[in-house]
Amino acid sequence: MRRVNFYSGLDIDLSLAHKYDFNPYYCNIESSLSDPIIIDGKEFINLASNNYLGLAADKRVAQAIAQAAEKYGASMCGTPIATGSMVLLQRLEQRLANFIGLQDSIIFPSGYQANCALFLSLAQSEDLIIIDHYAHASLVQGVRLAGCKVKPFLHNNVSHLRKILEKSSEYKRVFVVTESVFSTEGSIAPFDEIVNLCAEFDALPVIDDSHGIGVIGRSGRGILEEKNLDNFDGIYTASLGKALANTGGIISGKKELIDYLKYSCPGFIYSTALPPPVLAGIEAVLDIIDKEFPILSERMWRYKQMISNCLIDSGFELTEGQAPITSILIKDLEDCARVAKMIHTNKILATPFVPPSVPPNENKIRLIAGANLSENTINKALDLFRKIGKEVNLK
Amino acid sequence: MSLEERVIKTIEENLEKKEKVGLNTDLRNDLGLDSFARVIIINALEDEFGITIPDYEFKNINTVAEIVKGLREHFPDLKES
Ligand SMILES: Cc1ncc(COP(=O)(O)O)c(C=O)c1O
Repeated sequence: MRRVNFYSGLDIDLSLAHKYDFNPYYCNIESSLSDPIIIDGKEFINLASNNYLGLAADKRVAQAIAQAAEKYGASMCGTPIATGSMVLLQRLEQRLANFIGLQDSIIFPSGYQANCALFLSLAQSEDLIIIDHYAHASLVQGVRLAGCKVKPFLHNNVSHLRKILEKSSEYKRVFVVTESVFSTEGSIAPFDEIVNLCAEFDALPVIDDSHGIGVIGRSGRGILEEKNLDNFDGIYTASLGKALANTGGIISGKKELIDYLKYSCPGFIYSTALPPPVLAGIEAVLDIIDKEFPILSERMWRYKQMISNCLIDSGFELTEGQAPITSILIKDLEDCARVAKMIHTNKILATPFVPPSVPPNENKIRLIAGANLSENTINKALDLFRKIGKEVNLK
Repeated sequence: MSLEERVIKTIEENLEKKEKVGLNTDLRNDLGLDSFARVIIINALEDEFGITIPDYEFKNINTVAEIVKGLREHFPDLKES
């Protein structure tokens, strides 16, 4: 009986998907992130992936991956502390740290894992973690696992953060956790102000730059470059599966921090290291960023501007994002389902966000145009958005 | 200020968006508060009244009136102003 109850209790609410005969999640992509991509045998314009610079299907990256597979095989079949510690891994850890502008870094199998593992090995019961209300699920999960006091602050609200910091003197150590780019809306955290507040109140800033690395900053080096934070002495994390177009996650910071984590972070020590082909793929992406970032980023920002302008002209409301993300804001959940379906029917792949990923009445449809798309493709998408705008009739 | 007024003001000052809050406002259905948003409100009430609210006290509370009732019950010494 307990087993029957267990399975019958695993309930998911798909009523909206059934009502509109449309489920946008777990689609069957049959190609690389090419232009167009192929879903269920049909050509789609991809405005959904976090492939900001468009390098996920770049031939040079694929070649580097193939060569590394040829030379090193599929996997080192070991954790970083054991046989996973290969020359490519160590070289990339140092290179990523240099790229971001920090002393050292370690590479995890995923950004989610890095964020979860971080707090579990660093925070103690007498500590306080202050975290942005809308921080990513992996950070929320991580701070909850830490077992210390957690106080969320209102999203990107520096004066609310200050109020909490003013009452933090009883705690042994205080961490302030946020993201650089909040990806459902494209807002950028006032991280320079947050770093200053942390200095004033002797707290440690922790930044997840998953949607900033390779995207923002003069040469794509992320939030620290964007905000001119030269001597950042906090903790930096990021996913390598977005602009860096591969997979994995990093924690970066002072050498003492990284050395400590290498010997004390179970989520790092006991999990198989990223495979050599992926490490080579990330190196190849960094090589391309070094040379071509100005061209790629110009295209990425231009496409964002074109899409945003067109959507506003077509009567849609957008979130106020400063990142190369365009988010359509749709208050009514059913309207959101309807628009998402129309976009999909017009063969554009987009990402709808509904609660609990976003607050109620703040449903969003996110569009990210990678720099690999041609201007022709973007213009085709704009024509389709104009058509959808005329047909949609929002509440 | 009455206890009710102080609770309402504290909640209004600790929401992501400006919203009118009354005694019958439901935290989830009217304000759409997620679990972190509830924690923000609890922490703000703790600071406002100088008390510590155990997590379980807040678990089954839905409306602002229920918060006020809970505070009166558990913290009988709370001043009205
Ligand atoms: C802000 C943020 N942090 C962390 C992650 C998790 O990274 P990964 O996909 O590498 O596990 C994501 C998304 O995937 C993210 O958007």
